[in-house]
Amino acid sequence: MKPRVAFFDFSSCEGCQLQIANLEEEILDLINLVDVVSFREVMKEHSEKYDIAIIEGSIMRPMDVERLKKIRKNAKILIALGACATIGGINKIRNQWPPHNVKREVYGDIDLEGNPYFDAFQTKAVDEVVKVDYYIHGCPINRDEFKRIITSIVLGKNPEIPTYPVCVECKKNENICLFELGKFCLGPITRAGCNAICPTNGSPCEGCRGILKKPQIECVMEILKRYELTYDEMKSRCKMYNYAKEEC
Amino acid sequence: MSKYNEVKTILKNDFNIFVDNLINSGEFEVIGVKSKSERFIFDKLENSNQLRLYYDVTILPPKKYFLPPVEMLINFDLKKSSKPKELIDKKPRIIIGVHPYDIVAIEQMDKVYLDSQKDDFYKKRRDNTIIIGSDIQNVSKRSFALSMGTNVVESGFDLLLTDIGNKYIITIGTKKGKNLIDQFASVRESKNSEIRKIYKTRNSAALQYKRKTNIQKEEWSKYLAANFDNTLWEERSNKCLECSSCTMVCPTCYCYDVQDSVSLNMSEGVRYRTWDGCLLRDFTKIGSGEIFRESKISRYRHRFYRKGNYLRERYGFVACVGCGRCGTACLPDIADPCEVINELSQFDKTEDTNKYIIKEKTKTPEKGTIHIPQNATIKQKKELTYRETLFEIELDNKKPLGHKPGQFVEVSIFGTGEAPISISSPPSDKPVFQLVVRKVGNVTSKLFTLKVGDKIGIRGPFGNGFDIKAMEGKDIIFVCAGLGVAPLRSLIKHVTNNKNRKRFKDLKILYGCREPNEAMFLDEFDGLKMLDDFTCKLTVDNCPKGECWEYDIGLITTLFPKIDFEKKKSKDTVAIICGPPIVYKFVIKSLKDLNIPDKNIFVSLERRMKCGVGKCGHCQINGVYVCKEGPVFRYDQVKELPEALE
Repeated sequence: MKPRVAFFDFSSCEGCQLQIANLEEEILDLINLVDVVSFREVMKEHSEKYDIAIIEGSIMRPMDVERLKKIRKNAKILIALGACATIGGINKIRNQWPPHNVKREVYGDIDLEGNPYFDAFQTKAVDEVVKVDYYIHGCPINRDEFKRIITSIVLGKNPEIPTYPVCVECKKNENICLFELGKFCLGPITRAGCNAICPTNGSPCEGCRGILKKPQIECVMEILKRYELTYDEMKSRCKMYNYAKEEC
Repeated sequence: MSKYNEVKTILKNDFNIFVDNLINSGEFEVIGVKSKSERFIFDKLENSNQLRLYYDVTILPPKKYFLPPVEMLINFDLKKSSKPKELIDKKPRIIIGVHPYDIVAIEQMDKVYLDSQKDDFYKKRRDNTIIIGSDIQNVSKRSFALSMGTNVVESGFDLLLTDIGNKYIITIGTKKGKNLIDQFASVRESKNSEIRKIYKTRNSAALQYKRKTNIQKEEWSKYLAANFDNTLWEERSNKCLECSSCTMVCPTCYCYDVQDSVSLNMSEGVRYRTWDGCLLRDFTKIGSGEIFRESKISRYRHRFYRKGNYLRERYGFVACVGCGRCGTACLPDIADPCEVINELSQFDKTEDTNKYIIKEKTKTPEKGTIHIPQNATIKQKKELTYRETLFEIELDNKKPLGHKPGQFVEVSIFGTGEAPISISSPPSDKPVFQLVVRKVGNVTSKLFTLKVGDKIGIRGPFGNGFDIKAMEGKDIIFVCAGLGVAPLRSLIKHVTNNKNRKRFKDLKILYGCREPNEAMFLDEFDGLKMLDDFTCKLTVDNCPKGECWEYDIGLITTLFPKIDFEKKKSKDTVAIICGPPIVYKFVIKSLKDLNIPDKNIFVSLERRMKCGVGKCGHCQINGVYVCKEGPVFRYDQVKELPEALE
């Protein structure tokens, strides 16, 4: 029996699901491997019977929590897909302000009281609400990694997600270090697995696959000094995908 | 001068024609130093104009052509039972512009990869590559190659270029190099005045070095040996990002990880290896999740000891060529060996430099290809406990495995990977052999799902087994804790075999595990009771209510006072310990209380044995490779190793 897979989207651009839709001819291999029973971007059918739930997006409202908990109950395996789901991602930028301020900024003085669609709280990653079995990191996800993780799960093997930073892949690609070019890159503290796609193409890493571990402050200061960069610059970079209240 | 001691002169214009001839011949992939914005890289040349022989240093060393960052090893097909195919790169290649320090680094790699157990992938690439070296014209600002004596070389190249203005002098290093010149270049004999200019070029480069070490490289090992616990390791490692950029750009770092990947159609798969770095936390992580070099200090320190002490004592060279790449790549700038060694030079040194390696040479038999497993079949499967199962395996060629008690095999499941498992059956049980497997990681979990008759792959046997000769005529105490009973069972069955029994004296088995439901082979131990001069004591740390356990209760060390032991026999007693890391310290103390000499105590240690042949670097305990010199060690060999029994 092929495992039944359903995709669900919460607050997100659905770009990670688009990455999967963009597997093109390989999508045929995917549907040979698993039964896709729900995938809004490519099919209209939907089923509540699934083994694997793939969740894209962040959790923003009580109604999301309710829906997510139901999905968790139905699914044997739950996978968080993409930065919004795995770490909260850019949706967490708004956590810098109280939710009602954000609402007022966007919607003005319209009375949204009691409307569940606008009843937003501070953004949460999926694992802040339910247990996540596997993570497919990135903004957007890396298709090769998606394939590797899905084949691993079907083979019954725990997918190996890098626990080392992007620098490792950046070096293997023989890139010029972006710090040498005067740019602030989050590669040294961000989980690898993207094959250093941004630095390889000249853009500093923004940390979309999540910060592995905050380096010791002695280390950070040393680097900022050596490359004449500021602490504020670093902090604002980290906010893009990895905003966390306790750090501010 | 090289052994050929032959030099030729080539005009720069003719040299360009030579390079273009090589490219246009289509016989080789021609690699050379090219620009990458402000830096330089080795890359495929399309024409001679791209060559930048005035470069200072490349981002990555030419190592990438011998041990690529990602290298496919084996192709397999999960749907067909066809034989896995070795993906050896046979492309002839020429690398132009390799600096002397990188040539020295390649020679060092050769010693590691082409030693008694040759790496066939590396060897093929190496055999098919022609190295055209280049004397340094511009010194990289982080380089200290002059201090390392690697700024010039007399060998290790096929041809070596020295820029003397409008011409190059070509020093011919090998027959291969000479043939290349004869076939593709237009050269003439060098005049003496031109040859003298070689030294002028080299000397003027040597004058550019700003960075120097305070101590000779021969002395590094002595300073490192005296300062393992120096606070400088902690101070410096506090600034470490643990990104392993230092090892990634290093021309003499050669550790790799092996992984399997399967296509979405679940049919074609590939086993590949990729650079790994000892600064990364999971480098020493084993299937059960244990990490042996857990602290940042230990990982940071390991790199310097490996470069300056471990490899030097093993192979005779300091595994740093002074290229300065790590200093450039390390963002907090703590990776530069020149700085570290200069800081160390203010402390003491010791002549006792080889204390982190095992002095006795162990023989590893040469075997064919190193990464292709032999086909084998699961003949029997027996559940031992809720988490351990015994697998009986037979090689498909029906030949005995030919192992010694204490050795291990790499169990390979295509698509999933490989895991080291110790052999639990005695050599006499041929042609089959048994493995006791605990379900902990990917490979073992997958193995549990396989049925009798299913195919797996086996590499090995690997490592150093028990020194059975040293046990003859002696009393033996076996101390097995938890899964440690698995490798010891092989030895116990061997010595208690009727054919061998009389060669050993009094036998005592002490076996402990946490709870009764974890105990294995109790029936076998009971069956041994009728032997003469045999004692067996079993214990559990704890027996939950309602479970049945008719033996002792208490930690394994509580069994020692319960055995008859005459201290006058200490010198004629051999003790063997195998168990989880925590056990050794306590059991060894108990054994020392019995006055058993260190050289009579044997331990079997677990580490991440990935390649099994002393290359990938994961199983190292200080300078010792567990996969080659272990997993069985005499206690006196490892007791001084800081990383062994911590």
